[in-house]
Amino acid sequence: MEISIAAEKLFEIATFPVTNALLVGFLVSGILFLVARTIASRMRMIPRGMQNILEIICEALLDLIESVTRDKKQARTFFPLIATIFLFVLFSNWAGLLPGLGTVGLIHGEGEYATIIPFLRSTSADLNFTLALSLFAVCATQFVGIAALGVVKYGKKFFISPLHKPYVIGTMVGILELVSEVGKIISFTFRLFGNVFAGEVLLTVMLHLVPYFLPLPFLFLEIFVGFIQAVVFAMLTLVFMKMATMEVEH
Amino acid sequence: MDVLAKLGIDGKLLLAQAVNFIILLWVLKRFAYRPILDFLEQRTQRIEQGLKDAEAAQAKLAEMEKQEKEVLVAARKEARELLVAAEASAKKRDQERLRETEERVKKLLAEAEAKRNEEREKMLADTKNELAETVVLAVEKVLREKMDSATEKAFIEKSVR
Repeated sequence: MEISIAAEKLFEIATFPVTNALLVGFLVSGILFLVARTIASRMRMIPRGMQNILEIICEALLDLIESVTRDKKQARTFFPLIATIFLFVLFSNWAGLLPGLGTVGLIHGEGEYATIIPFLRSTSADLNFTLALSLFAVCATQFVGIAALGVVKYGKKFFISPLHKPYVIGTMVGILELVSEVGKIISFTFRLFGNVFAGEVLLTVMLHLVPYFLPLPFLFLEIFVGFIQAVVFAMLTLVFMKMATMEVEH
Repeated sequence: MDVLAKLGIDGKLLLAQAVNFIILLWVLKRFAYRPILDFLEQRTQRIEQGLKDAEAAQAKLAEMEKQEKEVLVAARKEARELLVAAEASAKKRDQERLRETEERVKKLLAEAEAKRNEEREKMLADTKNELAETVVLAVEKVLREKMDSATEKAFIEKSVR
């Protein structure tokens, strides 16, 4: 048993390393797309079967987003990003819980030092993915803010002249805001990565200690954690976006 | 940079993950979110429209029922009036006819009476004449020898009338 913080490389395509986390990311994306596409293209006025589930997910998410934005149009604008973050993070978290996690894979090394490189590794247990997603979410937040307020007004959130009312304090607050934008990236990245990675490690360890029954409660716990982390990531992005579109009150 | 490498952060993989996510976002938005949300909205509108229509139809039905009732009441009233009027007119006509009949009967009776009277008088006159003649004949037969016919006739006619 070897625990690696980085996602393990499975093979290379023209010097491009394909890791297990990336593979799972592609798989989850593909499955999400196929399922959504199949159902969405056969929508009926009287819903049946899978269409119900998809509708419930969409309506619940839209209601949630509307309850934060308090604006129907804005909710429709934010919906794609928030929903994609939620669904992709949720299913990539859960993908890491599938049987075969950390146990089925390529044999690496020889003899006593042989280790397994698992085929499956939750995408979220790879810092590359969580960092990419955080960068994307925070960049989207800036973009949404600028689109709503304009460059100058939005810039005034961070660059406050020391010659006006709160003077130097205002300027310092602006700089802090700027730093907190970077902080958002870091906290987004490591919160998701930490939770999911820790869950995988925990499950792997449990599985090696007691193969039967004991890992079950932890498995349920990880299902719950995976859901919560997806909700947290999506909701925080949503709240940051909403805050970016609001004007500063002095 | 060394720290990043230790954490497994690799520019290529980072970019790959970001691109993967962006593609997923775009594709889902294009093929899933937009059609689904549009569809949901459409259905909401349709249901709202349906409910509104149902409400309107119910209101209309209630109004129609009310109107129908009013019409029925009016019709009943009219029918009653008509009946009363017809009854009255029938009564009147009956009375008229009765009176007419009575009159006719009276007239007929009177005619019959008159005819009878006339006939009786005629008969009486005839009888008188006949009687007179018979008496004359009888008296003639009796008195042929006693009186002369001229005085005799005058005398008899005078006594009979």
